[in-house]
Amino acid sequence: MAAAAAFFGRVGAYAYFVGDFVVAVRRHGVPWRLVLQEAYSIGVRSLPILLIIAGFVGTNLALQGYFAFKPLGGSRLVGMFVSLAGVRELAPIIAAAMVAAKAGTEMASQIGVMRIREQIDALEVMAVNPMAWIIAPRLVGIMLVLPALTVISTFMMVGAGLLVSVVQLGVPGEIFLELASQGISAPDFLYGQVKALIFGLIICTVSCYFGFTCERGPEGVGKATNQAVVTSAVICVVLNYFLSEVFYGGAH
Amino acid sequence: MLQNTISDGVLHVADPEPAPPPPLIRLRGLTKSFGPNTVLNNVSFDIPEGRTTAIIGPSGTGKSVMLKHIVGLIRPDAGEVLCFGTDMARAPEPALYAARRRMGMLFQDGALFDSFTVGENVAFPLVHHAPQMSEDERRAKVNEKLALVGLPGTYERATASLSGGQRKRVGLARAIIMEPEIVLFDEPNSGLDPITSDAIDQLICDMKQALGVTFVVITHDIVGTVRVADYIAMLYRGDLIAWGPTAEVLRAEHPVLRAFLQRNLILPPAGGSGDARLPAVQ
Repeated sequence: MAAAAAFFGRVGAYAYFVGDFVVAVRRHGVPWRLVLQEAYSIGVRSLPILLIIAGFVGTNLALQGYFAFKPLGGSRLVGMFVSLAGVRELAPIIAAAMVAAKAGTEMASQIGVMRIREQIDALEVMAVNPMAWIIAPRLVGIMLVLPALTVISTFMMVGAGLLVSVVQLGVPGEIFLELASQGISAPDFLYGQVKALIFGLIICTVSCYFGFTCERGPEGVGKATNQAVVTSAVICVVLNYFLSEVFYGGAH
Repeated sequence: MLQNTISDGVLHVADPEPAPPPPLIRLRGLTKSFGPNTVLNNVSFDIPEGRTTAIIGPSGTGKSVMLKHIVGLIRPDAGEVLCFGTDMARAPEPALYAARRRMGMLFQDGALFDSFTVGENVAFPLVHHAPQMSEDERRAKVNEKLALVGLPGTYERATASLSGGQRKRVGLARAIIMEPEIVLFDEPNSGLDPITSDAIDQLICDMKQALGVTFVVITHDIVGTVRVADYIAMLYRGDLIAWGPTAEVLRAEHPVLRAFLQRNLILPPAGGSGDARLPAVQ
């Protein structure tokens, strides 16, 4: 009972925090000169790890697809399987998970340190709204970068799947690509971008929330960072199911 | 301008003014609890304009909480804090920010942004509140304030390379960059060695002379307090147990106040006359 009350208390506090942020941005605007810096920082920091993870997810999709379809005589369908799973589901969620792990944790820890070193109080006393100054450029930055990272992740997955299919599994490359392109359509890319935007919003606001509400001391910063990555990853994965249901549920 | 001085181990405290100047900050019935802990209990007093008021008391007695009420970072459970006539607890954000633009605050650790240079830290309020100022004008003003706090030529220096005392000086330069009418100091001597601590006290005295604005100093450094303060308020377990001109507070009879001050000072007799003295160095 107490755990449930604490959970709903946290949800309420997060909703209140997001409401305050919206009011702060409406009143103080976005410090645009910081946006590019944040976007660059988020993108560059997340890209190397994303390329590795997306590449190896693509290789495994190809392997699993090949061995699943082979007994049914459909081993050539591996291209369709990789593109469908990659574009619709895995590329957006993998890109989001990597951004949460790299940029999200950094946001939470940076803001947590600002909180315990009284830098957020100092901003308030200098009559600079900390929510608008700290969160807004990070949010715009992540919303610019995450859709791009999702596209890169998609191409990396399909590319790595193609490589394994051709080199290791002996599937002709042109067949892989033809079926891969048949498996997906333009709206699939669009839905992937919508997912990326929603995940970016969640990762940024959740990470900043835990940073802003960080408890005193280095332990508080560690706890905030941990809570930020776990919470944003869980929300994104759960939300991914519901978004897929909305986007693709009509196909049943 | 009142001025306390030290010579030959004797603290010469300026005679009290016939009447304090009009208050710039008024605290009325200020009460704040954190859970079962009452940190401030119905505290009321005035902070006079153009004078230095020290708020003293043992650790954990509510001094920093009071300072945060003055700048509107904490809302009281009851009572009010009026700065320039603005109720800092209940004012809408535009009015609150307008009042804060007339204040500067030195935080315990300086609260500087380590990714900025010294100059960028000091220039930060100007960038936000005086965007019409050219880069050259801004730089000149920052250099002027850095020279005033004894750190000339440090504009380009990395903030992370500063010592504790230097961080406080840079924090002070940032606090006064907007020419505030009130400057608040949160434990300016904390974490400093005695020599640097004395240097910071001297800096506050110099600033007091140079700027002539209202200073509010939160501290438990007694000698430093008596050096810089025109008025003293003492908090003990959330209650205000003394408030008045420094000379009067030093002669007050309250046993807790005397016990607190006598840790570092030899006081004049209660209710009597004479200056406080520093204890002889062993």
